[in-house]
Amino acid sequence: MRILVVDDDPLAGEMIGALLEFQGYDVLLANDAMEAISQLDAHDTIALIVSDMHMPLVSGIELLNMLREQGVTLPFILLTGDTPDETLRQTPGLSACLQKDAALDTSLGHAVAQAVGE
Amino acid sequence: MSPSAPSLHDKLNQLRQRFIEQLPARLQHITEQWQQSRASTEAEARLGPELHRFFHSLKGTGRSLGFERIALLADQGETALNEPTPSAHVIERVFVQLAEEQQRLQSLPGQQRALAALNSVEFAPTPIKTRSKRQRLIYLCDDEPDQVGQLLHHLRCFGHEVVHFEDTDAFFNAVISRRPDAIIMDVQFPQGNTAGTETLTSLNKLTGERLPAIVLSAHGDFHSRLSAVRAGCNGYFTKPVKPLDLMLAVDELTTPLDDEPLRVLVVDDEPEVAAYHALLLEQAGMVVQQVNHPSDALTALERFSPDLLLVDVYMPVCSGEELANIIRQQPEHVGLPIIYLSSETDSQKQLSAMTAGVEAFITKPVVPEELVSAVQLRAERLRLLRSLMTRDSMTGLYNHSTTTDLISKALAQAHRDNTQHAMAMIDIDHFKAVNDTHGHLAGDQVIITLSRLLKTRLRMSDIIGRYGGEEFVVLLKGVSDERASELIDGLRHDFAQVDFHAGGAHFRCTFSAGISSFPIQPSTESLRLSADQALYRAKHQGRNQVVTSTEQDDDGFPTARL
Repeated sequence: MRILVVDDDPLAGEMIGALLEFQGYDVLLANDAMEAISQLDAHDTIALIVSDMHMPLVSGIELLNMLREQGVTLPFILLTGDTPDETLRQTPGLSACLQKDAALDTSLGHAVAQAVGE
Repeated sequence: MSPSAPSLHDKLNQLRQRFIEQLPARLQHITEQWQQSRASTEAEARLGPELHRFFHSLKGTGRSLGFERIALLADQGETALNEPTPSAHVIERVFVQLAEEQQRLQSLPGQQRALAALNSVEFAPTPIKTRSKRQRLIYLCDDEPDQVGQLLHHLRCFGHEVVHFEDTDAFFNAVISRRPDAIIMDVQFPQGNTAGTETLTSLNKLTGERLPAIVLSAHGDFHSRLSAVRAGCNGYFTKPVKPLDLMLAVDELTTPLDDEPLRVLVVDDEPEVAAYHALLLEQAGMVVQQVNHPSDALTALERFSPDLLLVDVYMPVCSGEELANIIRQQPEHVGLPIIYLSSETDSQKQLSAMTAGVEAFITKPVVPEELVSAVQLRAERLRLLRSLMTRDSMTGLYNHSTTTDLISKALAQAHRDNTQHAMAMIDIDHFKAVNDTHGHLAGDQVIITLSRLLKTRLRMSDIIGRYGGEEFVVLLKGVSDERASELIDGLRHDFAQVDFHAGGAHFRCTFSAGISSFPIQPSTESLRLSADQALYRAKHQGRNQVVTSTEQDDDGFPTARL
């Protein structure tokens, strides 16, 4: 299964990618929302999106809204440096909202499995 | 672990190294941006978001990679920026501290320590898995080496994994990356009279958890004790500490509450109704099994061994009342709580149902909270009763009759599966002399210590019982007599090293053990007899040893015990 990881911090993107690859997923990286959109256009095999919240120009949640407006219904997991608040969690169309912390490897694995309905 | 495990590990370590290496350039860049942003309000508005993102990203990435201090500093920076008028002083201080932390991580020892602390933890579940359920990870932080050696020995003796730290910084970082089950902390360190407890306080604040901790101090003064209470400590010991007391305190601190979920069997001929009730109970955290035919209830009782039975009164074939009577006729289910469910509101009829020994009557449709609380209350009470009935009150081990029952069950199973088990009979040497010389409290201490040792070092699946007095019996499952003998001998060796204190005196104790094995001995009774004979030989040959039973014991050699 192929996952698109969107993060403006290349190191963070790589780390998230490494965690997901370790769990057996195929990973594509994008540095911002624009790159994410073009990756999605180029690869129709992408089954899920994991995106950072705070990115320049277009935030993770704005990216989600953009995609939903375009009719893209792929599961979408949002990552944030803060403890996610309730309103963010409740965003329609969001599969999960996770905090970036040392437990990310397990929490992300669970969220991905849940989002794709395993 | 799968072969890809080390590669993820390596990859993450590479990322960590790169993160540290890149940090000075990022700091340099952002410091310049900060300076510029202070030139005009226009620049401030333009660069604000970038500054904000810098801290935010540093926090997220730092935390994900396990650099908790960097994340903490970044968080301080972010908070300061969010103020209506950001304090230049705070932000610049954060820059300086980030640079210092970067240098610490960059320096070889700092980096190695940080990586070593990280490597032992997350992403590599192996070290945690190898610890048995009762083994604990304990951090001991004390800068006085002479005190520590003995403590370490005792804690390890009980199978705990102990890591010793000489300074609070190394300890701090270790806790951040891997939480211990318990902490033993000295109060005084060279950098401050309450540096130990202060470290705990800031860790509790940072992690938002209350870390289970015991404090050691050279002083019993009010100020030291107060600092321990403020740090949320669970115990306070003044030095010199008796290792055994400390060990027992750690044990108490780390023994989890009995959180095994309650088990409920639902008997209802209507599957949808049964499923609905099951769902209500499951949502309250119970484990539920459903049966739709009363005739299946007995097998389910046997296999599922529930804490409570929830029965529909009106069922075809066999009514709930009849089912309750059938169940009550079997001695092993006499105490099982039964709750009836029915749409019967006539209290006279309800009363007649009660005569079958039913605990409660709930009318359908049920009020969810009512059902849950009725079930919880009765099931928990039965559990408590059961544990009082089956366990020895001093040690919490199984009592004589329960041990025998459990062993017989295990053997019945082993007959079917063709597995082997080993039994050990263990008896404390010269126990009477301990009681006579040092008093009964000292004797109790020895018994409790041995029972804790057995509990922590043997597996959860092994059956451990106190047979009476100073005698213990253990069934080691799936183990040959040779392996059992090695295991028990390891325990014997460690038990002999434990220092007991009574009044001003201190003493040591030993035990002897006899081993027998199944299926050479095919029944509980013959296993016990044979282990007993081996134990007798161990005593006879000078005690403090483990003897394995040989065929000879059964072939008419003198076996009489005095």
